[in-house]
Amino acid sequence: MLFFRSEDRVDAWCREQGLARRPLIRLDQLWQLALAWYAERLTPAARRPAAGEMRSIFARVGLEGPFWDPAADRWSPT
Amino acid sequence: MTPPPATADRAVRWALYRRFAGSGRAPRIAEIAAAVGVTADEVRACYRRLAAERLLVLEPDGESIRMAPPFSGVPTQHRVLVAGRSYYANCAWDALGVVAALGGEGEVVSRCEQSRAPLRIRVTAGGPEPVPCVVHFAVPAARWWDDIVFT
Repeated sequence: MLFFRSEDRVDAWCREQGLARRPLIRLDQLWQLALAWYAERLTPAARRPAAGEMRSIFARVGLEGPFWDPAADRWSPT
Repeated sequence: MTPPPATADRAVRWALYRRFAGSGRAPRIAEIAAAVGVTADEVRACYRRLAAERLLVLEPDGESIRMAPPFSGVPTQHRVLVAGRSYYANCAWDALGVVAALGGEGEVVSRCEQSRAPLRIRVTAGGPEPVPCVVHFAVPAARWWDDIVFT
């Protein structure tokens, strides 16, 4: 999960790395993900979101579809 | 008396995160053992369980912290400044995650991965100030932990 100055820079980097171009997200979306994942991380009972919670968080930020589905996340209980 | 695993894991994780937040670096295993009142071997056992739950990423020695998300135990291209202290984050998401975890205000100092041009993102109480940038997710959510360092 890397920062780029523009979509053109992403395209160039993907070509250079031989990687498929994947979804881009905006800074405000990333901030919402950061808050959802980590705002409570420095509390004694903090835990990682489970798969269902992950789907809800992504959907709230407007990220839906197979790319954002953690169904094959072998650890998370579903 | 040795606490049950769930209690010990929580105490170890809490001690680890407090020290990371307070110093900006990964604590040594002896620090955690002393803070929690258990042996270094017991801390290693907690680390293994926390790593299995994907709450930590360990180095091959089983006791050095590579990642305690959002914090990185090793230097990366993503530095985060909060309240006069400097941290390393694991990725773009975790860079903002460090700010979120530490109260919601700070600055991310990173780079455009293609041009290597510096990128500074100030985060205030209202969220990140607008900066021309996008974030690329190279790996689908279901595959993140196949190689979490690459992800």
